[in-house]
Amino acid sequence: MSELTLAVPSKGRLEELTRDWFAQNGLTITRPGGPRSYLGALEGHPNVTVRFFPAGEIARELIRGNIDLGVTGTDLIHETAETGPQSVAFAKPLGFGNADVVVAVPAPWIDVTHMHDLADVASDFRSRHGRWLRVATKYITITRQHFARAGIAEYRIVESLGATEAAPASGVADIIVDITSTGSTLTANALRVLEDGVMLKSQANLIVSRTANWTPERRRRLEALLHQLNASIAL
Amino acid sequence: MSSPAARRAQLEALVEAQSATRANPPLLLPADPYFDLAGEEFGRRLMLTTATTGQEYCLRPEYTLPIVTDYIANGVGQPAAFSYFGPIFRQRQDGPAEFEQAGLELLAQPDGDIALHQVLTFARAALDLYAVSAPAIRLGGVGLFETLLAQLDMPDPWRPRIRQRFGHTEALERLLTRLAVAPTLERSPQPAREALLTEITEQMVDAGLSLSEGRTPDEIASRYLEQQALDAELVPAATLALLRDYLAISGPALQALTRIEQLALRHGLDLAAPLRALRRHLDELGTVADVSFDGSFSPRLDYYTGVVFEVVGQDGQALVSGGQYDRLLERLGAAAPIAASGCAVWVDRLEAECVR
Repeated sequence: MSELTLAVPSKGRLEELTRDWFAQNGLTITRPGGPRSYLGALEGHPNVTVRFFPAGEIARELIRGNIDLGVTGTDLIHETAETGPQSVAFAKPLGFGNADVVVAVPAPWIDVTHMHDLADVASDFRSRHGRWLRVATKYITITRQHFARAGIAEYRIVESLGATEAAPASGVADIIVDITSTGSTLTANALRVLEDGVMLKSQANLIVSRTANWTPERRRRLEALLHQLNASIAL
Repeated sequence: MSSPAARRAQLEALVEAQSATRANPPLLLPADPYFDLAGEEFGRRLMLTTATTGQEYCLRPEYTLPIVTDYIANGVGQPAAFSYFGPIFRQRQDGPAEFEQAGLELLAQPDGDIALHQVLTFARAALDLYAVSAPAIRLGGVGLFETLLAQLDMPDPWRPRIRQRFGHTEALERLLTRLAVAPTLERSPQPAREALLTEITEQMVDAGLSLSEGRTPDEIASRYLEQQALDAELVPAATLALLRDYLAISGPALQALTRIEQLALRHGLDLAAPLRALRRHLDELGTVADVSFDGSFSPRLDYYTGVVFEVVGQDGQALVSGGQYDRLLERLGAAAPIAASGCAVWVDRLEAECVR
């Protein structure tokens, strides 16, 4: 198999912006079967198969090496597996899909402005309330890594797959870790990002799998494609 | 001439010879108690599976928790000893893995020092079986640090904050650095407590937060005022210097303990009791082993007390780790602290060390 597989987000704004970005670099992604089709092509590159996937699956398949390169968010690479960042090479940030993964606490917690305050609050939370401090998030891997780095061990994660910002008010959790681009959703829900609470700055990236099977021929094809896109990597 | 199988059989015999009840907890255990005891940091290493009821289970990641839970369920009070040898399961960087662990748990023993001595003797015997004849043993003093911290000159609220970070070198360093720099920002005058309470309560009600389920307005106001007071009332520079000196003490155990004695003498601290305990264990370990003491060494779990130790192999991995954890049983539901000590031996690592 000497063909290259390029994975592109399958819907919405992200798909549009990705196709625009390729077009700006002189490459047209076609989707002959229309929006319901999951197979496409790259004009002028008969050896590249384009597949349309949800962004989260692109991250997973890049890490596993089932696709060769693709467009997805930095956050999803970090979240999908602890070994995610090592399993891929970031070839080029694309300048859209910008968002930060942040720690936010209820705004009325006026005594908590930094991660070290959170460490204090977490450490005696259990003795005060008979349970651990609860953190609602869908970013479990990222939260565990960053809290460990900040020396915070005394907490429990409550997995939240949607409307995470509502978790403190609904009593499901005390604080949240979530993605935000403007912060307005957080503010509207009376949440405040800690001053050193940005865990990860994410944006859409062109990403190459390190774990895919890179024969010399496939590698040549990859390099030619990246060259055309003004991107480069060290595999 | 011995083979891996022969060494394993000898270790099995050693575990059997501990005049302890042989414990064999289930391979499949509820995951929640592990998250409850050790938090997410340990939780990420569990091999999890979910029942159709939604309840989470894990493959046995270690033996201490199920052994101690069982002991508490059967009524605490009587001294008990448990030994074990069998597989455990953890997530590692390169995927899930099965290991073998052997170990000893001594609970509610009348003399905690004698119990720890027995644990160390067991550990040494296991090391001998694998021909690790001059092991590198690292001792840590949790009790020593707590005794020191209690006597240092500083505002009281800082003590638990420092204790909580003991064992996490970077977090402790960040805190000490922060304490060394007086905050430069202009402080507005302290608001009255009543006004503050009213304001926080209003904010919480507006945000739809429960006033009783989680942090209460009272708790937030208290910590806020305390924080403001603390920013004004810094830890004396001399205390910070002393703490740093202490945490930096690391090296051959006898020399390290002598340096701590000198430090105590210089600053008029009474560290005699915890130092005596450490010295006694040091004497018992003899001169065969390469024993070091590290002022900053402690497991990151707050139920450890007294003396902790680990034996490190040539590649820096722990071959044996253990110590005293008198607060564990209380954390798991016992009415009061109960003396506990024990250790776990990483059998696969010992085998790797042996054939090296």
